[in-house]
Amino acid sequence: MRVLESWVSGPLSRFLDESAARLVLLMTSSGQVVAQHGFTRSVDVMSAAALGAGIMASTGELAHLMGSPRFGALVHQGTEQGLMLSGFETPRGRWIGLVAFGPESSVGIVQLFFQQFTDEIAAAAPPEEPRGPVLAENFEHELNASLRALFGR
Amino acid sequence: MNDDVRALTSELARDPGSLVFLDLAEVLRRRGQLDAALTVAASGLARYPALADAHALHARILAERGDGDGAFDGWMNALQLEPAHQAAHRGLGFLYYRAGDLARALRHLEFAAQAAPEDAGLRAAIERVRVAAAPAPAEALAGGTAAGEVVAEAAPAPTSRAIPFAIDSGSGTSSESELFAGLDGARDGLLLLDQHGLRLGGALRNEDGADVSDAVAAHLAGVSREAARAARLLGLGEWQSLGVECEDGNAHLVAPTAETVLLTVRDVSVPAGRLGLVAERAAQAARRWLERVA
Amino acid sequence: MSGADHALRRVSAVRGVRGAMLVSAPDGLVISESSMEDVDGRAIAALAASLAGRLRRAAASAGLGRPTVIQLRGETGTLLAVPAGDELLVVAVGDRETNLGLARLELLEAARGIA
Repeated sequence: MRVLESWVSGPLSRFLDESAARLVLLMTSSGQVVAQHGFTRSVDVMSAAALGAGIMASTGELAHLMGSPRFGALVHQGTEQGLMLSGFETPRGRWIGLVAFGPESSVGIVQLFFQQFTDEIAAAAPPEEPRGPVLAENFEHELNASLRALFGR
Repeated sequence: MNDDVRALTSELARDPGSLVFLDLAEVLRRRGQLDAALTVAASGLARYPALADAHALHARILAERGDGDGAFDGWMNALQLEPAHQAAHRGLGFLYYRAGDLARALRHLEFAAQAAPEDAGLRAAIERVRVAAAPAPAEALAGGTAAGEVVAEAAPAPTSRAIPFAIDSGSGTSSESELFAGLDGARDGLLLLDQHGLRLGGALRNEDGADVSDAVAAHLAGVSREAARAARLLGLGEWQSLGVECEDGNAHLVAPTAETVLLTVRDVSVPAGRLGLVAERAAQAARRWLERVA
Repeated sequence: MSGADHALRRVSAVRGVRGAMLVSAPDGLVISESSMEDVDGRAIAALAASLAGRLRRAAASAGLGRPTVIQLRGETGTLLAVPAGDELLVVAVGDRETNLGLARLELLEAARGIA
């Protein structure tokens, strides 16, 4: 597990212990990675973060077009592995969690403990520091900075 | 998560190259969070492949997860790097004892004791293995057999041997046969484990008579943790028992103490209610035995 | 009212039972539930399915075959789960006063009807 901010590590460790998730990627809605567990290559994190943020943005827009509230979570259950992509509000803005899990866990267990995790994150988050707007030209720079911190490269 | 784990996790996050992974993995192991402990130990081992302590700790966690082969390799690696590594000798002694190779078990335990002569638990374990390895009186009278040969002949089949000592401490002083003495199913339907799934006594056999104790034990530590978690989160209080009626038999799991789990198994003719009473009697016997060997 | 709903209502009517539900065993998700009082149905479904999955593996390794009734007793209540085929679990949560014998029979009856 690697985290950009230490206050995330406690809730994330508990989530990993309880859910037995194989991979976890936490990112802001702009795709900036906050924490990761289980990824061994930075290129995978970069792709997953970009795709995850993109999927959440596009499904959110789809929900808006259909006059529905924003989707809470998207779940894909494969034969060997399941994926859950879920957005949640934090004192630091909207974050997205991408979780991959195997047969040693289940959608129900992952959702149950992800809810607990998001509650803990909301409670543990220190007051937000003032930030500038997230501009498109900042996106890649922020993502690369996150990856350097998360992989020590 | 307690403060120790929180602090160590933060420290490791700040400095992933530090040796704090050893402390963190050990704390997680002691808390029974074996998956997390293994992840931490494995990542630390990847950074420090020449560190004997990292191999030994990794092996210890594998042993508690029921991966005896992996544990054996890990402790052997530790000894190649540091031939007098105490924990590695102790661990190998444990594995050899469990496999019924008493001569090798004794050799490793004595090596371990050289590094920790004040360790009473280790001395007790050595004594237990010496007693187990000693020839029966009739064999001794027959004479003329080398000690090593007697040990080999006296050693029972590996899977039928219960563990009279833990990897950490050899405090077992009471014979395993006393554990469930007088109770029905003492040799094939009662199994006492520590919280990590290591067998303390008793045995379990399937309908073909094969000893399945270790295979079942590997699952039961996870089952008891799962039961405790479910009871806690569903507002049922501390879990007291877990009864399972199956197609070909009934099982009942209780925790005689906070650190142990007892499985009682009978065929389907024994109803679940009666099985609960049998399990409670066995739990009382286990508590008495544990008090004696503590 | 579906057959499953009717069966769950019968389980819930047993003295001490706080609620009953039908759970997807592989996913740990609620399919249908009946009068769950003061209990998070999602938590029951997830935890009961997870426990049942572990017990299925442990029972197989012990040569006991498949579990037919699971009963987790705590200080203040009991969780009962009965598999209905490979994919479903019928689950009930009761307090300390639950008539466990009757609850077990109703769960088995419900599972037979649903499977």
